[in-house]
Amino acid sequence: MEAIIKADRLSKDYKIYKDHKGYLGALRNLFDRRFTLVHAVNDVSFKIYPGELIGYIGPNGAGKSTTIKMLTGLLVPTSGEVQVNGFVPWKDRKDYVKHIGAVFGQRTTLWWDLPVRDSLDLLKHIYEIPSDRFKQNLNSFREILELDSFMDTPVRSLSLGQRMRADLCAALLHDPKLIFLDEPTIGLDVVAKQRVREFIQFINAKRGTTILLTTHDTADIAKLCKRVMIIDHGKILYDGEFDELIKYYGGSRVLSVEFAEFYQYPTIDQAKIVQRDGVNVIYSFKRENISASKLIHQLSEKYRIRDLEVQDQAIEDVIRDIYENQLLYN
Amino acid sequence: MRRNLSLLFRLLRIQIRSQLQYPASFVMEVLSQAMILGFFFAAFALTLSQFGDIGGWTLGEVALLWGLAEFSFGMMDMVFSGFDYDAFGPLVIKGTFDQLLLRPVNITLQVLGSRFVLRRLGKIIEGLIIFIIGLSLSNVDWTLGRILYIPVLILCQVLFFGSLFIFGATTTFWTKERLEILNVFTYGGSEIMSYPMHIFPRAIRLLFSFVVPAIFLSYFPMIYILDKPNPLNMPVFTSFLAPFIAISMFWLSLKFWRFGIKNYQSTGS
Amino acid sequence: MNAFFATIHTSFRRQLTYRAANLSGLFTNLMFGFFRAAVLIALYQEQTSVNGLSIRGAITYAGLTQSLIGVMSFFHWYDLMHTVYDGRVGADLLRPINYFSYWLGIDIGRAFGSLIIRGLPLFLVFSFFYNIILPESLIQWSLFALSIVFALLISFSWRFLVNLASFWTPNALGIGRFAFGLSWIFSGFYFPLALFPDWLANFCRLTPFGASLYFPIQVFIGNIRGAELLQGFLIQIFWIVTLVIFGHIILAQGVKKLVIQGG
Repeated sequence: MEAIIKADRLSKDYKIYKDHKGYLGALRNLFDRRFTLVHAVNDVSFKIYPGELIGYIGPNGAGKSTTIKMLTGLLVPTSGEVQVNGFVPWKDRKDYVKHIGAVFGQRTTLWWDLPVRDSLDLLKHIYEIPSDRFKQNLNSFREILELDSFMDTPVRSLSLGQRMRADLCAALLHDPKLIFLDEPTIGLDVVAKQRVREFIQFINAKRGTTILLTTHDTADIAKLCKRVMIIDHGKILYDGEFDELIKYYGGSRVLSVEFAEFYQYPTIDQAKIVQRDGVNVIYSFKRENISASKLIHQLSEKYRIRDLEVQDQAIEDVIRDIYENQLLYN
Repeated sequence: MRRNLSLLFRLLRIQIRSQLQYPASFVMEVLSQAMILGFFFAAFALTLSQFGDIGGWTLGEVALLWGLAEFSFGMMDMVFSGFDYDAFGPLVIKGTFDQLLLRPVNITLQVLGSRFVLRRLGKIIEGLIIFIIGLSLSNVDWTLGRILYIPVLILCQVLFFGSLFIFGATTTFWTKERLEILNVFTYGGSEIMSYPMHIFPRAIRLLFSFVVPAIFLSYFPMIYILDKPNPLNMPVFTSFLAPFIAISMFWLSLKFWRFGIKNYQSTGS
Repeated sequence: MNAFFATIHTSFRRQLTYRAANLSGLFTNLMFGFFRAAVLIALYQEQTSVNGLSIRGAITYAGLTQSLIGVMSFFHWYDLMHTVYDGRVGADLLRPINYFSYWLGIDIGRAFGSLIIRGLPLFLVFSFFYNIILPESLIQWSLFALSIVFALLISFSWRFLVNLASFWTPNALGIGRFAFGLSWIFSGFYFPLALFPDWLANFCRLTPFGASLYFPIQVFIGNIRGAELLQGFLIQIFWIVTLVIFGHIILAQGVKKLVIQGG
């Protein structure tokens, strides 16, 4: 199958200007500027295939939004090549953007003062969507996203969750083959998040739309994405299945035990005590060192146990671990 | 082209509709703007009455210059609202400009359609009234050429001021904030175009002849229309350079605008 | 009181950081000063004095109005409105400092910063180009300084009052444009009021706008003496008292409305 996004040795450098200080410095800045070069995206290559729903994650300033800007044609790469849907994004802007959609959680693409209905209607003309197709799409999205209650409300008066739903609808009316979702769940409450996720899943599954999702919410990734790419310091650190990532790097598991009696030193090989409160003890252990069943077996041979529970490390913690301890660097 | 125009009108219509949502308060605002702006001319007229004339020009003659500049600037300020650098800078910073780039429509047209400040009608009305006052107070020997030159001049001034707005908006790609200094040429330009420009010191006159060639759009043409002596001893043809200057300026500004967008796409925000 | 001075200090420091903006504003105001001076010179021609205003006085007037425009922030100040519309007003109202004083502190800091890096340099440069008039005695300098402080109080109270409209309507910007248009008209910003017919000049002098721009400039160029001078200060004091009291009354109403309707 032909890839829908092909990025080949993509790089983007920024000049970060250092201002001269002082009143005269302001004048001097106009003519003589010092700068340092920052490699926001550094020699990045990847391919994305039609129908994929990919999570693109990384800490702030890692190069995520620079990549997205290059893929959407807002930014011209310093070097390397990018082809999306057969287009070089920044070259054939008008033709290229007809077939993509984009949603930014931080800001709306809709007209601030217009009712949602009018905004969507304008998009119909901007994208030259045939009337019947427009109606079909609008009807189906209206239902799934439950837009009806605020179709006539100006965008500025919508709640964050409502606005996001309207934006999602707006980004999909012209049947894009590919959509970029940048933080679509940011600031939403649990229910709203769930609704947005379901919609993303629906679009991907039912319409086969390729989706590139950037987010800080690892639950989004866990629930939606099979494949993830992790970027940091402008480099892709990981590109592969999400489950694999967790299996390899989310090694730490937690065993909480309630003993039947108090032990002075309830130690056990291959696991360490992370918390202790009377008869309640919490161990942490690594999957690759010892399996849960073996650990429990050893424990129950040495001590009398009343109750126990095994938990995987929370996914957020795994990802944070990866960023902070730079686990993926070789 | 036809599709672009119909889209532009659709964008504008929607904005006009939302600005007319409260018609009474809209009319109030337009009239009060016309009054406030018109007061300056009244203040000038009252001041001039203490002196008689300014640089050999009577009140009526100055009113023609003044009304023309106000009317044209008002028209421009309404049509080119999207390029008003006060509003365009924030558009770039907030990322709204990026969103326009993500739509499959000519970007210049989208910026043009992104803002339409209808209340500029206040300035347009004010300019018109002052121009009419000028017509009634001055004795113009109306020939066909002179009559026809008036609408041409208006169009030229609109293009001229519009090109300054486009220049201004483009600079915000680099500066990321509004530069007040641009006001010297836009609002300042329209102010000095309201006077017979030989009254200004040489340095200012040169600035507004060769850097921002405002003098060719109001003072020189009006010398032809009013058949006034030219104390600057310029050849007669300078009265007719307005269309040439306006079109060149506008063309240049669009070039600069495209260059700005290109640069913006390679440096990002 | 400490909080008040701290607010002034912070705002002053912040104003000083906008260097590029201040520099470009300075240049702009200077150019407009040149334009206005040129028009006045063209009007005066050979005459040295009209209605008691000398040509030197008129030119000084053009330079001073442009120097003071940023300091007084006469025609463009919507800062308070913005905090109402984006919700910051809630936190501001909870501050352990009177809301009026809080904004006054911010404005004094802003005005002082603007005076130092915009107003004064502008007037200095302007004075290289023209033969201007300066106050002749220490007393005149002090009176000018006092009139400027009073003028800022009037100007601020007026802007505060206008901005309070945002507590009631989502379109306070339009009201602001109108209100600042009034200050534009009656302050004598465009042409010296002395060149107007007496009836109009006298009316403008009585308004808070004339009291906060025209009067201090008159004091500066020494165009006003004795009883008239005293009268000018009394008009200033009258407007300060009136606008401050009025501002507090409206503010109390606005807060009540904000609390009841939840903004």
